[in-house]
Amino acid sequence: MVFYENALALNEVSVQLNPAEVVGVFGSNGAGKTTLLNTVAGLTLVYARREARRGGVRVTVAGQVRLEGQDVTAWDVPERVRRGLVLCRERHAVFRDLTVSENLRLGGYLRSRAEVEESVAFACELMPPLRRLWRKPAGMLSGGEQQMVAIGMALAARPRWLLLDEPLLGLSPALQAEIVRVVGEIRRHGVAVLVAEQYARAVLPVVDRGYVVESGALVLSGTRSELASQAEVQAAYFGGSWASPRTHP
Amino acid sequence: MPELLTVLVYGLVQAAVLLLVALGFSVTFGLSGIPNFSHGGVYILSGFVCWFSLRKLGWPYPLAVAASVAVAATVGLLVYAAVIRPVRRLVLAEVIATFAVGVAMLELFRWMGLVTYEFNLPAVVAGSVALGDVVVDAHRLVVVASAAGLGLALWWFGRATRTGLALRAMAQEEYTALSLGIREDRMAALSVVLGSALAAVAAVLVLPLGLISINLGYDAMLVALAVTVTGGTERTAGLVLAALLLGLSTVVAGVLIGPHWSEVVYLAAIVAVLAVRPSGILGRLKELEERV
Ligand SMILES: Nc1ncnc2c1ncn2[C@@H]1O[C@H](COP(=O)(O)OP(=O)(O)OP(=O)(O)O)[C@@H](O)[C@H]1O
Ligand SMILES: [Mg+2]
Repeated sequence: MVFYENALALNEVSVQLNPAEVVGVFGSNGAGKTTLLNTVAGLTLVYARREARRGGVRVTVAGQVRLEGQDVTAWDVPERVRRGLVLCRERHAVFRDLTVSENLRLGGYLRSRAEVEESVAFACELMPPLRRLWRKPAGMLSGGEQQMVAIGMALAARPRWLLLDEPLLGLSPALQAEIVRVVGEIRRHGVAVLVAEQYARAVLPVVDRGYVVESGALVLSGTRSELASQAEVQAAYFGGSWASPRTHP
Repeated sequence: MPELLTVLVYGLVQAAVLLLVALGFSVTFGLSGIPNFSHGGVYILSGFVCWFSLRKLGWPYPLAVAASVAVAATVGLLVYAAVIRPVRRLVLAEVIATFAVGVAMLELFRWMGLVTYEFNLPAVVAGSVALGDVVVDAHRLVVVASAAGLGLALWWFGRATRTGLALRAMAQEEYTALSLGIREDRMAALSVVLGSALAAVAAVLVLPLGLISINLGYDAMLVALAVTVTGGTERTAGLVLAALLLGLSTVVAGVLIGPHWSEVVYLAAIVAVLAVRPSGILGRLKELEERV
């Protein structure tokens, strides 16, 4: 459960991610997807501590995060990253003044040089444009290219569980398909992926299971085919919005 | 009216002095947003450490320099842990707390009576050089070269090392940096240590131009603020340009009006830049506006 001041952002939401599985979390703006992913990654705790010191937003976090049965709720972010739990934040979270290669190298901040080299090579193989953009500042790239950098950074951290927050946000259908292909490849290499999206349709082909959250509460969950059939009924989450993916300024 | 060349040469030297004196403060502020006003205190302390190692302990010059950098870095770490960390992110408290430390150090030196003429540091190289009609002492040229070298070294550090990249990343996109496992506390401490070490480098280069006096510590704080505000913290180029502008202006003001006008120039620059371009002369005002 996560409580921001007096807004309940997550309530009794429980998600599970099995090895080498792609799981979707779907919900509209403000549903609590980012809160969920940040909490799993440990960032909400950092935010809560910082706000408490400033006397800012009061944040209450309750509940448990378990990795392979081990309770990691109290672990800080570096410990979780080292263990293989890696978050790729929403809105193309890259370092705009740093070049693509610097961004990728930083992704593996906690890994050895050899490990970073290997995982960056893997990221470039999955997303060939990265090599071409190598020396460009990330801030000069298109949204799709930035998203590739962001995913590349997360891969450089050598995840076993990868949390992707709205990787398709603002991308053209062709680029969305490309990112979805990349997600499939990542899974094929044994990484479990938890992907948050507003619209289920584009990622549905690659997810094994999915959850639908609304106003911080779980309203639906099931396998891909269950979700797909539900989708026909629940136009609000899946149907009407397909044609108009949200873009951000 | 002195030759134009003289004004240019001494303006350049003055610019290098300003850049060196401001660099530590700017680097800390640019990397972690900490306005470390103990800077002036650490600057003078470093001068005294170098003086003490040379004159009282009889250490060779390089060792004395190393000692003063090491002491400054250690003091930086202590100031961070004891004074800054407890009030981190409360900007006003950070300013007051660090300023108090700086003043305490300087006034402690005054109280200890460290105010006589014996406190001087040797030039890195003796002698003087003639540039056309203008004669400059070699040490002033070393100051210019060091300022340039230090700027380049920092540029390299920020690009080629993992720690440098992490520091820049933290300054740009905090939560993304945190999500990669970069530790905020460590980076903030490092930024203060680095800034303090740079204050010591500035001290051993700049203080030989005169005597070590307590008031230079207060001057250093003002210079640091003026250069940082004028240049902005986003780019090293902004700092260099600010140092050049302020350096030339103070030399010109000194020639035209009188030698005691430099403080007025610094303060005027601070006020003017804050009024017109709050993100500094090379700051990205557009982005700032977009964010608002
Ligand atoms: N830092 C914060 N302070 C206060 N309230 C917050 C904060 N972050 C999120 N919230 C609130 O928590 C709720 C969930 O937000 P969250 O960002 O998790 O949604 P989301 O599903 O990721 O939405 P989006 O699709 O827009 O990214 C919202 O009601 C939001 O207003
Ligand atoms: Mg979100």
